[in-house]
Amino acid sequence: MLSKKIIHLIEANAMQLSNEIQQRLLTHPSTSSYRNIGKKTLHAWIYDVCSRFSYWLDEDRERGEVEEHYCNLGKERFKQDFELPQVISALYLTKRRLWEFMAASREADSALNLNQIVEASFLLVRFFDHAVLHVTEGYEEMLQSEHGYEAPLSRPEQLAQALEAKRKREELVYEEPKLPTLCFTKGMIRLG
Amino acid sequence: MLVKLIEMIEKNAETMAGELKNKLLTDPTTPSYQTLDDRILYENIFEVYSRLGYWLLRDAEKGEVPTHYSAVGAQRFGEGFPLHEVVQALVATKRHIWDTILEKGIMRTAKELDSAVDFITYLNRFFDMAIYHTTLGYYRALNLKTAS
Repeated sequence: MLSKKIIHLIEANAMQLSNEIQQRLLTHPSTSSYRNIGKKTLHAWIYDVCSRFSYWLDEDRERGEVEEHYCNLGKERFKQDFELPQVISALYLTKRRLWEFMAASREADSALNLNQIVEASFLLVRFFDHAVLHVTEGYEEMLQSEHGYEAPLSRPEQLAQALEAKRKREELVYEEPKLPTLCFTKGMIRLG
Repeated sequence: MLVKLIEMIEKNAETMAGELKNKLLTDPTTPSYQTLDDRILYENIFEVYSRLGYWLLRDAEKGEVPTHYSAVGAQRFGEGFPLHEVVQALVATKRHIWDTILEKGIMRTAKELDSAVDFITYLNRFFDMAIYHTTLGYYRALNLKTAS
């Protein structure tokens, strides 16, 4: 894999990157809840991602461990009274710093290096897409179990009703127009 | 070169919007999208692809992106969509752009790859903000409902 070099570079710089990401989370207005967490705990969370980046990016994990880990993270953050948008913002701020690090390593005259960066970016983006999606799913599960809230279209019967309503709307649009009948009588045309 | 990548997407917006619309309407992970009128769904996607330059090159953290996508989140909440499906649809919208670029095979030279790196930066910045503000709009609408 071309991008291994860049991913190992992230792992080698995990401590510094974790420090920088932690600082961003503690100061960014969209992640104010993270100030309530102990600095060591927050740093440990971030460091776990950065220091084992190749582990997390392994494709097989996206079908199993990443899903479970981030679903549980969503549930955990719910219990800690985090607002979901803040959790998502934290993930994106982490991703952004890692991407900045990757992009900065490019050498404009080295096609091979750029290929590595583009390949690594695909893995980075895919990983965080999965993380955000599964955090959201975990959070929604807690909304349902703790507050009894479930999005209406999550329920099969409501989804079926909505689909039926759409089908009927489409039938009305495609219904053939009824033309008036013409009735010819001597010297007169009557419309009926 | 960055502008050329964006222009390529805008030029292919009709085809791409049609392809993504069909994908969302048949993807088992986005069943709620089947309840939307096909035409409206197409137009929503076309709006992003046909004006990609507008969306990508503006400051994604200010202005229209927060307002627009916050409204999208609130709307989808009102329509009964689960939030994770809305997130999935936005991710799919972004991925379709990248898949199209890969398909066109326009990243061969160092210059093209260098532009691709810039493009990735702008693309992700926009969609990260879009997803974040959609979630924010949805969450605020949810809180209003549960508070009342």
